[in-house]
Amino acid sequence: MNDNARATQEAVITADGVSFSYRSGEYVSRGVREINLEVMRGEFLVILGRNGSGKSTLAKLLNGFLVPDTGKVTVLGTDTSDDDKVYEVRSKVGMVFQNPDNQMVASVIENDVAFGPENLGIPREEIEKRVTAALEIVGMSEYRKGSPNKLSGGQKQRIAIAAILAMLPEVVILDESTAMLDPKGRREIMETVLKLNREKGMTVVLITHYMDEAIEADRIFVMNDGEIVSSGAPREVFADAESLKAAGLELPAASRISLKLAEAGYDVPFAITDEELADSVCRLK
Amino acid sequence: MKDVTLGQYYPGESFTHKMDARAKLVLVIAFIVMVFLAKNFLSYIAVMLCVIGAVLVSRIPVSKMLKSIKAIIMILIFTGLLNLMFYNGETVYWSWWRFNVSLEGIIFSVKMVLRLVLLVMGTTLLTFTTTPTGITDGMESLMTPLKYIKVPVHDIAVIMSIALRFIPILSEEVDKIMMAQKARGASFDTGGLVSRAKALLPILIPLFVSAFRRADELAMALDARCYNATPNRTRYQVMKFGWRDLLGALGTAAFVVLVVALNNNFWGAYRAVESVWWLFAV
Ligand SMILES: Nc1ncnc2c1ncn2[C@@H]1O[C@H](COP(=O)(O)OP(=O)(O)O)[C@@H](O)[C@H]1O
Ligand SMILES: [Mg+2]
Repeated sequence: MNDNARATQEAVITADGVSFSYRSGEYVSRGVREINLEVMRGEFLVILGRNGSGKSTLAKLLNGFLVPDTGKVTVLGTDTSDDDKVYEVRSKVGMVFQNPDNQMVASVIENDVAFGPENLGIPREEIEKRVTAALEIVGMSEYRKGSPNKLSGGQKQRIAIAAILAMLPEVVILDESTAMLDPKGRREIMETVLKLNREKGMTVVLITHYMDEAIEADRIFVMNDGEIVSSGAPREVFADAESLKAAGLELPAASRISLKLAEAGYDVPFAITDEELADSVCRLK
Repeated sequence: MKDVTLGQYYPGESFTHKMDARAKLVLVIAFIVMVFLAKNFLSYIAVMLCVIGAVLVSRIPVSKMLKSIKAIIMILIFTGLLNLMFYNGETVYWSWWRFNVSLEGIIFSVKMVLRLVLLVMGTTLLTFTTTPTGITDGMESLMTPLKYIKVPVHDIAVIMSIALRFIPILSEEVDKIMMAQKARGASFDTGGLVSRAKALLPILIPLFVSAFRRADELAMALDARCYNATPNRTRYQVMKFGWRDLLGALGTAAFVVLVVALNNNFWGAYRAVESVWWLFAV
């Protein structure tokens, strides 16, 4: 499952010793500290952390919305602090936000998806193709001429993803894009994200506080208090219960149950997915 | 609150839907001028025929049109009554204190109400048959000359588009907040004017807080979509004048001429038919 075959050795985004704090007058609030990470082309990276742990700050640093106080972020070799390259960076690192309603600018879906390419000055025929392709990927083609107002949260968020895809980014960052959705909407978005990564080879950075969304990741970074406290493949990260607890995160249900069973003396290995748990429970005598 | 028909597009494939947004905008302005030109009942009938024709061509259900009238029913009643009571006519039927109901008053208030109804119908026809994006794109295109005097035409268009997009969202939000406050025991329809106004405060404050939060996220989303990346922005929606626009323009022009002609009694030509002559007088 966590075969890193898709992930290459080429870094799309590099953060090198990045620190950033918010300042307003006297008041300084810590954003993130000493972040080192590389996002590899084609990988599915998950950044986990509770509220206020600095995930959004990190995301904004990765697409150039914020510029590091110290350290350096490069996107495909371009330093994000280069003022002349702002839009280049932004179009390469697409960002999907939390509230789907607040990301749409037009009252007709196809016009909303076309907004990004229009801003980039893409020729009309090309925009048409991109809109078609983007809506196709997120499975919303039939709503093309419709209004976003009547859609479900999951559908709106899929449109928001399509709107970013139409700019042909190299990386898509989703900043808690499932947090406001119901379980069905969350599932829709997770399926879309996995399809994007697995079938289209898109590099995806998913930011979340739900651990079960991290199960399918190639790599996980766990954040707490503005720092990366652990990282690695899901199995390694999940197994380190102490540091997860310190970061205020809760293991997925399957893991918790497998641990409890093992504690009670059953021969159940540590599981991270429901299927794994079901398998090992079935194998019990 | 849910009945915000204004600014609600009614999807369709009719003649009017397929017209160029710019043409429709210009024609609506021509229509408004036409409504204000109309003087006697015959010219009002001509304007009505124009509206009926336009509704038929656009295939908007009559019930949908009536809904837009229902939205302003209070304004209509108010206008009608005020004009009826205060018009200083000669043929007085009924009089009390300062109120006079006269023949001229009746005619005048019927005309006023008719005028409002026609205005609303004509303009909602535009919003029913044109997407908000179409309207803002059309306005932007019509305002292009203003670019030369440094008016930020495109920014204005984006602001309008966002405003139209958020009207239903915010009105839904008002509903939710009202419900939440009612659940806490608030009441919005009892007490005097002052206490009612005060009762609105617990709605307005959360609404503003949420609107500002939304604005913040929206600003970021605009940046994420590379808003203002290049001055050479392209257009997804192509606008092209076609035969429909020409036909629409000719039709509207014909009605304007008809209205002016009826206003002026066809310059005396109809004087010949004595039995209909009185119609020109009202
Ligand atoms: N605009 C801001 N101004 C000041 N402080 C901020 C701002 N945004 C975030 N912070 C602070 O930075 C820290 C990290 O926040 P954030 O990156 O939003 O975390 P997360 O996305 O993980 O919830 C928090 O302590 C928060 O209070
Ligand atoms: Mg956040």
